[in-house]
Amino acid sequence: MSIRCIVVTPERTELESEADYVSLPMDDGEMGILKDRAPMIGRLGYGTLKLQTAAGLEKYYVDGGFAQVEKNEINILTGTLVPVDLIDAEEARAALEKAREMPASKPEEAQIKDKAVAQARGRLRASR
Amino acid sequence: MANARALDKRRKSVRNIRKITRTMELIATARYKKAMDRAAAVTAYTDKLSHIVKSLAASGTEVQHPLLQPREETKNASLLVLSSNRGLCGGYNASVLRSTMSHLKTMREEVPGVSIDVSGKRGINGLKFRGVDVEDQYLHFEDQPAYAEVEKIASMYLEKFITGKIDRLDVIYTKFISTSKQVATIETLLPLGSLGDDLDDEATTAGVSTGPSAEYEFLPSAESILEEVVPTSFKAKLFKCFLDAAVSEQVARMIAMKGATESAGDMIKQLSMTYNRARQSQITGEIMEIIGGVEALEG
Repeated sequence: MSIRCIVVTPERTELESEADYVSLPMDDGEMGILKDRAPMIGRLGYGTLKLQTAAGLEKYYVDGGFAQVEKNEINILTGTLVPVDLIDAEEARAALEKAREMPASKPEEAQIKDKAVAQARGRLRASR
Repeated sequence: MANARALDKRRKSVRNIRKITRTMELIATARYKKAMDRAAAVTAYTDKLSHIVKSLAASGTEVQHPLLQPREETKNASLLVLSSNRGLCGGYNASVLRSTMSHLKTMREEVPGVSIDVSGKRGINGLKFRGVDVEDQYLHFEDQPAYAEVEKIASMYLEKFITGKIDRLDVIYTKFISTSKQVATIETLLPLGSLGDDLDDEATTAGVSTGPSAEYEFLPSAESILEEVVPTSFKAKLFKCFLDAAVSEQVARMIAMKGATESAGDMIKQLSMTYNRARQSQITGEIMEIIGGVEALEG
């Protein structure tokens, strides 16, 4: 066991476990973390957090937020953390449809729409 | 002297009420403890968040964001009032409503368009009674507000602020200071002004213990992280407001019910005394009657 992974949401500490390898869903793609990585702070996107533990591969959906890596410890701050098995694909698809129909006539509105679409896509992808 | 039976009936009903208030006190205590734990959990989150903000500042990033800057002209403002769904919690709702009314008056003088959103049945009814139109109502926040629900409201306000539908958001809630002190507070959450006074305070305290001990690499860039940190800290702040309101409600109910239980006890004592006296005088009266009857027969 080499990396300690702690996920904190505003409600509680959701996850605290040890892993050999952690894959973070960054804003611009996935990023793998191994032991002794240099300290970093990163912005997370909407995607799947993967942990390679002794018990096997664990997958969670992460709803944006931040990751902070320091001294073989990963602190993840996010709004919600859901194990991928619990995500309803139908619901995610409906959310994506709804996000696609949002108005985008102004740049501010377009930005909000993009965010909603990205969120729904991340959820849908995680559910598969 | 009052009727002994009527007094006894009254004493019984007071005793029943005391049972209810005592139970309510116990329930409020249990809920208060749970709510406190949740408030502690959100502190862990804000601590880590402020750590990130501190690291960003240390790396020389200029902290600037549209959500942080006040608008030149405030045309439309929103007011969010956090009250409780249930009563029997002392002056909790009254103090929130009192500060709402006075704040609303000053706000209406400054800002042309003010809309009011209220969470909690008591607040909605109280404002309706005072002739204030409420726009959005939330009834689903009890003693454990869920972050997912609060986030929805937060995103809605963020959306409104970014698209320019509102220029300011004030929140009125009961701040929890200690078990014996909760104050109705008005806070301007949008624009954020700075990344928060309490966040800064926490940052300094957290800095002593953990401190940015390393030079961080920012991915994809410090600016991009900042862009995300600001809305997140707004959401965390709003969530903290909801949690504070929930904790304060339970404390207020606990104290109110404790007072009620105590005065019910006093009342029972008083009633028992009057009842015993009434019973005694009734017996004395009956004895006198019997003695009188016997003497009349003998005579």
